[in-house]
Amino acid sequence: MAFQLILNVFIAVVWMFVSGSASASTFIIGYLIGLILIMMTRRFFKERLYIARLWAAFKLTLLFFKELTLSNISVLRVVLQPKMTIQPMIFALPTDLEHDWEITLLSSLITLTPGTIVLHVSDDQRTLYIHAIDVDDVDEAVDSIKHTFEKAIKEVSRP
Amino acid sequence: MKTNDVILQTTTKVVFFIIFLFSIHIFFAGHYTPGGGFVGGLLTTGALVLLLLAFDLKTVKQALPFNFTIVTGIGLLLALGTASASLVFNVPFFTHAFDDFTLPLFGVTSLHTAMLFDAGVYLVVVGAAITIIQSIGGDA
Repeated sequence: MAFQLILNVFIAVVWMFVSGSASASTFIIGYLIGLILIMMTRRFFKERLYIARLWAAFKLTLLFFKELTLSNISVLRVVLQPKMTIQPMIFALPTDLEHDWEITLLSSLITLTPGTIVLHVSDDQRTLYIHAIDVDDVDEAVDSIKHTFEKAIKEVSRP
Repeated sequence: MKTNDVILQTTTKVVFFIIFLFSIHIFFAGHYTPGGGFVGGLLTTGALVLLLLAFDLKTVKQALPFNFTIVTGIGLLLALGTASASLVFNVPFFTHAFDDFTLPLFGVTSLHTAMLFDAGVYLVVVGAAITIIQSIGGDA
């Protein structure tokens, strides 16, 4: 990803030298031309196009805001319920994320969505211990995190 | 017992730079807007303390191999030197001078010798605070 980004900036700078102007608009035009060139020659790169990863990161952000709204509403319902029918629970979430930043990002996303809090990361970084306010079924809770956040983070980090 | 600090350490690696950058900004802002050597120095100390909390004393000492007692000394020398430099020009002790210079990138900038004095204060604050924390935290 870094190589493609540097190449794109390099093409834009070369474009600025070729057209003999050092303004920001020339840089943007050169950058867009470089983007088209890199898209045309994408078979020569071992990794995905970096635009795809940026798009995945954008989708992860949207997903986060969607989950934030939905889980806020569900916590509001728990708070306003006259009877305490909740079932708090601490469960283990096995994860196959590898990098430190992926685990930090996943934990932050889980903690920022109301109703769930990451308590501890196991020493081998393979398990997250999560506290949830209201869980009917552990497998369901694990699956819902695995299928939303973990999948989206993997989509961002895949080379 | 050793626990897994992956979240704290990864976040620190990002947040440290933001705090440090802000402390530099606060230091240079001191002349016209709130800020200055003291708060700038304390913010830098705060960034270093965050490093000390996330990692351990030994790691931080290896990463930043400064003797902070000497940093305090350099700061005091800088402050005293700026104050007494006015004696050379035959004006009273602590008289400051300033002038406008044209610097590359910055344009016309007013440079004031009070900033050197502030840099001395900054170094004294950072050196003293980190010395206190390191000697309380360390074994010896």
